[in-house]
Amino acid sequence: MGAAFDTIAFKASLCDGCGDCMTTCSKVKQGASRISIVPGAAEAVFELAICRQCGDPKCAMVCPSGALTKDGGSGVIGWNSDKCIDCLLCTAGCAYGGIAVDQSVSRVAKCDQCDGDPECVKACPTGALEFRKAGSIYKEYGEREDLFVPGLSGCLGCNSELIMRHAMRKIGRNSVLATPPGCIPGMGSVGYNGKTGTKVPVFHPLLTNTASMLAGIRRYYDKIGRKDIVVMALAGDGGTADCGFHAVSGAAERGEKILYVCVDNEGYMNTGMQRSGTTPYGSWTSTTPVGEHMKGKTQDAKNLPMIMAAHKCRYVATASTGYMEDLYEKLDKAIEASFEGFSYLHIYSPCPTGWRIPSSKVIDACRLSVETNFVTLWEYTPQTGIRFTRSPDNALPITAYVKMIGKYRHLSQDQLDHIQTKVDEQVALLRIMAAESPPPPPAHRQPAAPAASPAPAIGGDASQPPVRREISRN
Amino acid sequence: MSKVIVCDGNEAAAWGACLSRPDMVAVYPITPQSSLVEYLAKFIAEGKMTADLVDVEGEHSVLSVLHGACLAGARTYSATSAQGLAFMFEPYFRTPSLRMPMVVSLVTRDAVSPTCVWGGQQDAMTVKEVGWIHMYCETQQEILDTIPIAYKVAEHPDVMLPVNVNHDGNYLSYGVARVELPDQEIVDSFLGEKNVNWHACLDPERPMAVDPLTGGAGGIGPSTFVKYRKGQCSGMQMALQVIEEAHADWGKRTGRYWSPLIEEYRMEDAEVALVTIGSMTGAAKDAVDEARLDGRKVGIVKIKTFRPFPVQRIAKALSKVRAIGVVDRAVNFGWNSGPVFQEVLGALYHLPVRIPAMSFIGGLAGADITVEHFARAIDRTNRLAAGEAATLPVWLNEND
Repeated sequence: MGAAFDTIAFKASLCDGCGDCMTTCSKVKQGASRISIVPGAAEAVFELAICRQCGDPKCAMVCPSGALTKDGGSGVIGWNSDKCIDCLLCTAGCAYGGIAVDQSVSRVAKCDQCDGDPECVKACPTGALEFRKAGSIYKEYGEREDLFVPGLSGCLGCNSELIMRHAMRKIGRNSVLATPPGCIPGMGSVGYNGKTGTKVPVFHPLLTNTASMLAGIRRYYDKIGRKDIVVMALAGDGGTADCGFHAVSGAAERGEKILYVCVDNEGYMNTGMQRSGTTPYGSWTSTTPVGEHMKGKTQDAKNLPMIMAAHKCRYVATASTGYMEDLYEKLDKAIEASFEGFSYLHIYSPCPTGWRIPSSKVIDACRLSVETNFVTLWEYTPQTGIRFTRSPDNALPITAYVKMIGKYRHLSQDQLDHIQTKVDEQVALLRIMAAESPPPPPAHRQPAAPAASPAPAIGGDASQPPVRREISRN
Repeated sequence: MSKVIVCDGNEAAAWGACLSRPDMVAVYPITPQSSLVEYLAKFIAEGKMTADLVDVEGEHSVLSVLHGACLAGARTYSATSAQGLAFMFEPYFRTPSLRMPMVVSLVTRDAVSPTCVWGGQQDAMTVKEVGWIHMYCETQQEILDTIPIAYKVAEHPDVMLPVNVNHDGNYLSYGVARVELPDQEIVDSFLGEKNVNWHACLDPERPMAVDPLTGGAGGIGPSTFVKYRKGQCSGMQMALQVIEEAHADWGKRTGRYWSPLIEEYRMEDAEVALVTIGSMTGAAKDAVDEARLDGRKVGIVKIKTFRPFPVQRIAKALSKVRAIGVVDRAVNFGWNSGPVFQEVLGALYHLPVRIPAMSFIGGLAGADITVEHFARAIDRTNRLAAGEAATLPVWLNEND
């Protein structure tokens, strides 16, 4: 992993094409604008052309005179006018149209981020341009109070600990936190022998009733006018997808105003890594072991966030600690939605102990799970439907992820093929759901045509329903 | 001026809850409790109650929602029966350990299987060791009156335990009777201010961890756990006195004095005693009156408070008789008897003399326990007193 640098980010959905950024840039730089807003493929959609300050800059590679160099401190690709021989090869080398040409002087004009305070961003009236600081999460939340005690007894490299510390820093003290049985209380959130591990009111619900208990808390606080308390769960996948699902589903159906964060480490990790409903196909667990007659789990995982979207919750999203900015944005939205209705955030969380991966590889696993589409990042609201927050296009083959996870070490080619097929199906279904809504059906449906007799099977290999054995009466 | 209505036991329970002003009721229907929660919903829809009504997806969540509300500071109420109680069992077990002072009516019913949706006490008797206070009502009026009394007991700082107010499914749940509704002001002043979560709460203003892991290896050992368990037992024992005080207080305000722990009926000179529980007691009293006309000195000890079990009271009440017949509406499979029978035997151990006792099981499959059944029980207990050996148990309606 390389160093992290600040960057100018663009939200196309907010850009109205006013061009204020370009006007400001050319005024400040006294020449051609270094930033270009250009019409996109669809109407009223705009694209950004600006130097992306690439980590592996092609412009610098093609430059014959060494005039373009990346600054190791700021990350900005600097242009040395003395060295430049005005060949303009760099403008062809950049895939993003990021290097402009100042036609009045026939010289290169490129963004230098205005020494860390880009004027274009300040000029943007819609917020479409944002100067994202590397380490912004640390800078913004690092000063906030950590609401868990130091030295929780999680496993080395525990991703769940990362999630809980970040989430509670964000949410703050005016909250009531449920941590049902699992790794989170196991590492000490509710404490031991009368000593708490958390600075906010925290409780240890049953594995099966987290959402219901939270509903009772929220309803009473609403009734007595204390509506600003975040009432939330940090729950595992077992208590959410399996034995506690009735409570989650019931609370979602009733629109209880709670924030339910499911930390999905694909099994009952705290009790010894047993299989859960979200354990993926083929995975080794202590109850789906690998031996001569069994090669890991034989069923596919249930997709819990999709099930929750089907409840028409106020907000549903998936997230990964490999994409923290995305996670934080979703956490913001999820908190806000939890004051209005049921808000569900599903965070995929590799478990170094249970998945048999080195603790140093947890974030790599998070990233590769997303880059292979094993995990997809999306969000849902009843108004917008499902929207990908990271494109599932150009995914890596599933093996790039599976090969690094020890619990899949035994997989045969058939099993790998099965996983790839299921991942592709899953993404295809999500794409359909994420596409624009189809036009409404006609008001009156035509009566159905008489059922045609089933077509004869082509060839002799069509699968037949099993022949049912007659049971004779005595 | 109190109002008089005619209603069944389920409506009486709903009125008892209504007058106690709970902040939240969570409901899920089950026969023969369903009309009770329908009355609650109706009262709320009509504005008679201001409680938040939570229609949940099952009894497990009924109690779970109320757990959350109680820890946030709410007074809570619900009702269930049989399979509903079984499904509720996981949070049910936890309620007394967290010292949550809630009140839940059990409209008692036999437990599946064999499939049976009729009255019986198998459900309530099966959960007698969980740590809830159990009070059994005999009449519709007693149901209504016992629910405010139950809140007074549950929320008493020396008790802080949940209470089941039990009434017999079908016989009391659907049986109609004259019932006096006390004025709201009487109930309000009787109950006073609620304070349900002073000991354990989930409140950002008073942050604490509720139910941290205790005991086991390391740390300070099992002492915390033992302290909690002892505290529960202590709350239960304190409840014996608080239940008596609350009944007396209620009597002063309403003129209705219910026997708080046990009722002794014609026991002054009784040589033989029946022990009863719940609505069967009415028929038992008729049978005793008839036996008395024949000159047989029979009395009844009716148990109202079954948990905590009033050991000393029962032992004392039965200390002078020569034989005892205990009539149950449920089965104790492990003892081949009725469950109350086993309890009474335990109480009798406190006496210096050994009094012969027999178990009668009646009213199974929702059937009535008739005066004739009790007459047979009295006959058999008289023979026991006369020296005939005890048999275990007598199934009163096995040939009906």
